[in-house]
Amino acid sequence: MAKITLGRYSPYTSFIHRMDPRNKIFCLIALMVAVFFQYSTWEITFIMGGILFLIVLIMMFISHVSFKQLLLSLKSLWFVVLFLLLINAIIPPKDASMIAFSINGFNIYFEAIFQSLKIVLRLVLMVSTTMVLTSTTKPLDLTYALEWYLTPLKLIKFPAHEVAMTISIALRFIPTLLDETDRIMKAQASRGVDFKHGKMSSRFKAIISLIVPLFISAFQRSEELADAMEARGYDPKAKRTRYHKMRFHLSDLFAFIFCGAVMAGVIIVSHYGFTLNTDHFIPWLCIAGCGILTYIILLGIYDVESRKAIQ
Amino acid sequence: MINFEHVYFTYSPKSPIEFEALNDVSLTIKDGSFTCLVGKTGCGKSTLIQQLNGLLFPTKGKVIVDNFVISSIKKERTKKLQPLRKHLGIVFQFSENQLFEESVEEDVAFGPMNFGIKKEEAIKIAHESLKKVGIGEEYFKKSPFELSGGEKRRVSIAGILALEPKILVLDEPTAGLDPKGSKEMLSLFKKLNESGTTIILVSHDMDIVFEYASDVIVLCDGKVSYVGKPSDLFLDDVSKYSLETPMLAKVVQKLVSKGYSLNLDKIHNLESLVEELKEVKHG
Ligand SMILES: Nc1ncnc2c1ncn2[C@@H]1O[C@H](COP(=O)(O)OP(=O)(O)OP(=O)(O)O)[C@@H](O)[C@H]1O
Ligand SMILES: [Mg+2]
Repeated sequence: MAKITLGRYSPYTSFIHRMDPRNKIFCLIALMVAVFFQYSTWEITFIMGGILFLIVLIMMFISHVSFKQLLLSLKSLWFVVLFLLLINAIIPPKDASMIAFSINGFNIYFEAIFQSLKIVLRLVLMVSTTMVLTSTTKPLDLTYALEWYLTPLKLIKFPAHEVAMTISIALRFIPTLLDETDRIMKAQASRGVDFKHGKMSSRFKAIISLIVPLFISAFQRSEELADAMEARGYDPKAKRTRYHKMRFHLSDLFAFIFCGAVMAGVIIVSHYGFTLNTDHFIPWLCIAGCGILTYIILLGIYDVESRKAIQ
Repeated sequence: MINFEHVYFTYSPKSPIEFEALNDVSLTIKDGSFTCLVGKTGCGKSTLIQQLNGLLFPTKGKVIVDNFVISSIKKERTKKLQPLRKHLGIVFQFSENQLFEESVEEDVAFGPMNFGIKKEEAIKIAHESLKKVGIGEEYFKKSPFELSGGEKRRVSIAGILALEPKILVLDEPTAGLDPKGSKEMLSLFKKLNESGTTIILVSHDMDIVFEYASDVIVLCDGKVSYVGKPSDLFLDDVSKYSLETPMLAKVVQKLVSKGYSLNLDKIHNLESLVEELKEVKHG
């Protein structure tokens, strides 16, 4: 069971845990986007990838995500790596020129290896950033944040609240269903079911003996929940206030500026390489500054609004 | 015989939600006994039970069930758990949730078939077990999902009885059954016990414990706080274990304090109390 808990929220009180979830989502998505920039040469690609990886590692350290967990979650990726290497070896990139070695006259290019490495690096960065997000933010907070981001869409009659509610209920039931799975597996194991070994046919039967009760209990739970919500007069259209309010702290500002700086840095390097030049620097700094300002203003508006709602 | 040797168990070790559910549990459960496991909610009863057939392994210490060893150390463990699971059957809390087959008889036959018994034979065993738990023939071909909660419970108990285990472990099997049904199930367990099956029963109902148990184990926050006979337990003050004194034990306590000299070991239910009182009167 322990494997499924990968990236599950773990209640520490680190600086990243305490960040405003809206800001956290924004920053981490910004970092993920930064991962996908193209650079002019391989050296720059790997240096930038290394820097980003270092940043993510530090974040993992701060938020108590163990490196072992990351390795565990990457275990299933090795097949992808092999596949990528193979594909890239057979169909080398167009500009491939540096032959690394050749097997029976079949050339393997450095570019092919680099290309695969780059994709793997991106995958690792994506996975680890997501892990930082999910293991430092309660699922409920994530959906609140999501709802906040979807709020403007209400103007075009997008059911932001309903979508967020659905997602939060789904997230809420993941641990419950995992526990249920655990319980049913144990009950069936006591009846002699072997989930790990055995012939194909008995394995199939074993899965059926798990899935059927699981579905039944899931349907039952959803029905009960719907009844309970209705009985308490739940109305998705109703105006409501929050019990837990999301707050933008000073530390959020620092995190935001930091991510903005990383973004700006990545954009600059991807455009101009490492040859720094103030002409290039200033426009980007302005853009980053404007972005930060807009964001803070937006958050301010939101806070004022929610305060109004309380009064 | 079942032996717990300094068993510790921790859920999610080395994480912030780490929780020690069993703490230095050492006890012995004799063959042929009717042992009740009691204690307040969350004290680790279900956790303890799951050590018995290797669903959970101790984080420290070991459990010995006849020839099987369930140890924290991998090397000491019995390799094949399948025979252990036939030897020791567990009926879980809310066992009605484990039903999945198309018909009641097939569901009960599922267990024996997992242990290599042919289908026809397994169905025959299933019919017998279903009759034992009071499910009549008219139900055999029905879907288990059409049954009431109590009927489902009976079917799921039959599912374990069909394995014909030497040791039968039941986690609150009578919770949610009507009084008559609960009584029927308990007398079934008692009958099985008399024919040689060791019974381990988890229950919150002290009247049941007083009437049926030959031995009682009290757990308290993952520690064993009492092992012994029910009569010794209940004639003492049990509120320190967050337990309630059974009705009958209260009556007996009153009688004893009024000067009746009763043989406490013999009193389990109303009838035996009456018998004892007659003896006192005649004697
Ligand atoms: N999968 C789990 N992960 C973490 N903690 C758990 C898990 N299962 C149980 N616990 C904890 O271990 C403790 C003992 O649980 P257990 O289920 O053994 O209690 P119990 O004595 O059977 O209670 P009840 O009478 O309610 O059935 C509880 O405090 C519970 O919160
Ligand atoms: Mg329990």
